[in-house]
Amino acid sequence: MVPRLRFETISKSFPGVNALADVSFDVAAGEIHGLLGENGAGKSTLLRILSGVFRPTSGTVFVDGQALILKRPVDARSVGVAMIHQELQQVPHLSVAQNMFLGHPLTRLGGLFVSRREQESRAAQALSLIDRTIDPSAPISSLKVAQRQIVEIGRALLDKAKVIAMDEPTSSLTPSEFDRLAEVIASLSASGVSIIYVSHKMDEVFRICQRASVMRDGKLVGMVDLKSASEKDVIAMMVGRELMQEEHNSFVTDTVKLEAKNLSSATKIRDVSFTLHKGEVLGIAGLVGSGRTELLRLLAGADRLSDGSIAIDGKAVRFASPRDAIAAGIGLVPEERKREGIIPLRPVSTNMALASLSSFSSGGMINTGKLRAAAQDLLKRVNLRPFQLDRPIRLFSGGNQQKAIIARWLAAKSQILLFDEPTRGIDVGAKSEIYHLIEDLAREGHSIIVVSSELPEVIRLSDRVLVMREGSIAADIPRDQLSESAIVAHAIPGANPGATVARTASSA
Amino acid sequence: MTSSSTASVKPAPVFRRFSFSLRDAGTLIGLIIIMAVFAALVPGFVSERNLINILQQSSINACLALGMTLVIISGGIDLSVGPTAAISAVITATLLLTGTPIPLAIFTGLGVGVVCGFINGALVAYVGLQPFIVTLGTLSTYRAIALIYTGGNPVLGIPTGFRSLFNGNLFGIPTPVIIVAVVAIAAWILLKKTPIGEYLMAVGGNEEAAYVAGVPIARTKITAYVISGGLAALASLILIGRLGAAEPILGNLWELDAIAAAAIGGASLMGGKGSILGTILGAIILGAMRNGLTLMNVQAFYQLLATGLIILVAMMIDRATRGRG
Repeated sequence: MVPRLRFETISKSFPGVNALADVSFDVAAGEIHGLLGENGAGKSTLLRILSGVFRPTSGTVFVDGQALILKRPVDARSVGVAMIHQELQQVPHLSVAQNMFLGHPLTRLGGLFVSRREQESRAAQALSLIDRTIDPSAPISSLKVAQRQIVEIGRALLDKAKVIAMDEPTSSLTPSEFDRLAEVIASLSASGVSIIYVSHKMDEVFRICQRASVMRDGKLVGMVDLKSASEKDVIAMMVGRELMQEEHNSFVTDTVKLEAKNLSSATKIRDVSFTLHKGEVLGIAGLVGSGRTELLRLLAGADRLSDGSIAIDGKAVRFASPRDAIAAGIGLVPEERKREGIIPLRPVSTNMALASLSSFSSGGMINTGKLRAAAQDLLKRVNLRPFQLDRPIRLFSGGNQQKAIIARWLAAKSQILLFDEPTRGIDVGAKSEIYHLIEDLAREGHSIIVVSSELPEVIRLSDRVLVMREGSIAADIPRDQLSESAIVAHAIPGANPGATVARTASSA
Repeated sequence: MTSSSTASVKPAPVFRRFSFSLRDAGTLIGLIIIMAVFAALVPGFVSERNLINILQQSSINACLALGMTLVIISGGIDLSVGPTAAISAVITATLLLTGTPIPLAIFTGLGVGVVCGFINGALVAYVGLQPFIVTLGTLSTYRAIALIYTGGNPVLGIPTGFRSLFNGNLFGIPTPVIIVAVVAIAAWILLKKTPIGEYLMAVGGNEEAAYVAGVPIARTKITAYVISGGLAALASLILIGRLGAAEPILGNLWELDAIAAAAIGGASLMGGKGSILGTILGAIILGAMRNGLTLMNVQAFYQLLATGLIILVAMMIDRATRGRG
């Protein structure tokens, strides 16, 4: 029998990265198929190929035996493939029906007028299959997230979708809303629609899906029958790569550099406490959305504390803006370099000096000689390539931009460096350079926090790892107990934490 | 093997002290082409006297455009420069008529412009309103204040002492040209040599990154609007010095010429990019064109047409040479 959906030897490479290598699997009609993997394993890339955002470098997707050739994302809908994104793509002020017909409204009089009544009755018809309580004429902004998700599914049904891919659909749902979604998915499956279900939440995948494909590093590492497999087996498949061989060096001292007590914020941080020592590299692991970036932004003064206190060298500090944090010796190397790191058109040297321009100035004028000397020195130290100091930073590779941002904090003489995904979008060579740089900084007595979704990276770098979950610290794992499975067990809601790992979150 | 000698590759020039950017060279070529066309069409266009005339006629717009350039670089826009100039003009003129000493009147007039700019900047930086909307609002508000203050009447009879200051000559060069040249040099130094200039480019180039890097965002934005307001006031002093009267409706549509000069000179309305030299050249391009067309007795309607076309052509060339993105 021809499978509903077949991925045949799909590969996708971007300059310098192989995002997907030779991925092949089938999904039967009416099957609910889980897609599992860590961040960066290639799940999103695969979904983007399915929905026409990317075209595969090689390989073909088949729907009902027909090769899928998508020029634009909108083409996917016409061949019966619908995508339901984590961030719902809806226009808040328009009605449910208008959103469902967005982009291809029903018209009358030769396209002159939109026939709203017709749209609403057809929308109601599609929604009646899954949820009768939604009023098609209500503005979408008046609906709860769960209902809006149902609307998206209804939209897929309008398009007569044969395959619906859901990317982390439950990330903002309550348990009872999840139950409702699970029912809807089951009824879709019964009517022959195939579902691809991407989620981090192990218990959900086990409950909803029949089979799951597990991806790692852009490859399909296995297909599991969820009736017979255990969560532990699946986690092992997800993370089971070899650890990085390089040895970890520790320069931790007993001196407490920073102490955070009961930090909370409007940006989902809940009662986080920890200490950071001089010379320590503290890793923070957790799923995307667990509050890691938000914690760093609090420490860097970019977001406000709603409760709790931070002390540096035993003295309480309060940050009204990043300026205050920088003055207190904290520097943030942000996750999204393009958005939060670089001033694209400015030279790499002034990008480096941006946080410490006053120290390069006297009488209101920049001392160009002093700035140049510092740029020569610090950018050489981080091994900037090419070593052209007046070249606009946007012309450098991601790794070299990152080095310049690190040099920014060296120039500002920051004692505490916060790294958010330090090697995201960086090629392998520059990656190990940045690891060594972080190690050197620790050796010199800097205190460092590294947030990373790449577990081998966290394990390679950290003296100790905090695992975050839903805005709080779920575990504090010392170096000698560090393992990928220990981290994953604490990071994933619904998974049972391993008995060997000390839980010190709130009881410490 | 000569490896030992060739190994010492000479290092690439790490810094250049003064860089005449490619974009400025483009603006200069544009100016030269326009000058050449008029030189061929209009006898006496390139005479020393007419060239000085062009500079003098461009000076008011150049003065405004310098402030506008800094605001645009910071990622904003200042539509209120004309009415700011009007308030400053009528207040300065009234003070002069009531016998206020000239330096004090000038100081007050500039101060009024600074206050107008500060209000714009504070609304943008602290209240968080969009620059276009803020200055659209103050465009009307400031104009209304100037009209209410004077009852709609011009303030006539500005004393000659003041007029000779802003409408005189120094070594054969009109004082407005000298004033604007000094302002331009100051603006160039500000942009290229001071932390404030670097902050302006950082805030306009990537506000989020600038914030994370500790750049004082609010202070930087306010500085740009304050300078723009102050320079609008200075431009109004030049104008009332020339006319001998201050009308509450003066400065109508000044903002458009100023934006045009900045854009022709390479300022990006997306922020983060702009050139002082380019803006000056842009203002001279607009001035030279009007001067040449006037000398050719071309109707004002066609002058407006030419101004519009030159802006569009300049932007298209800019786009084509810069490539996509």
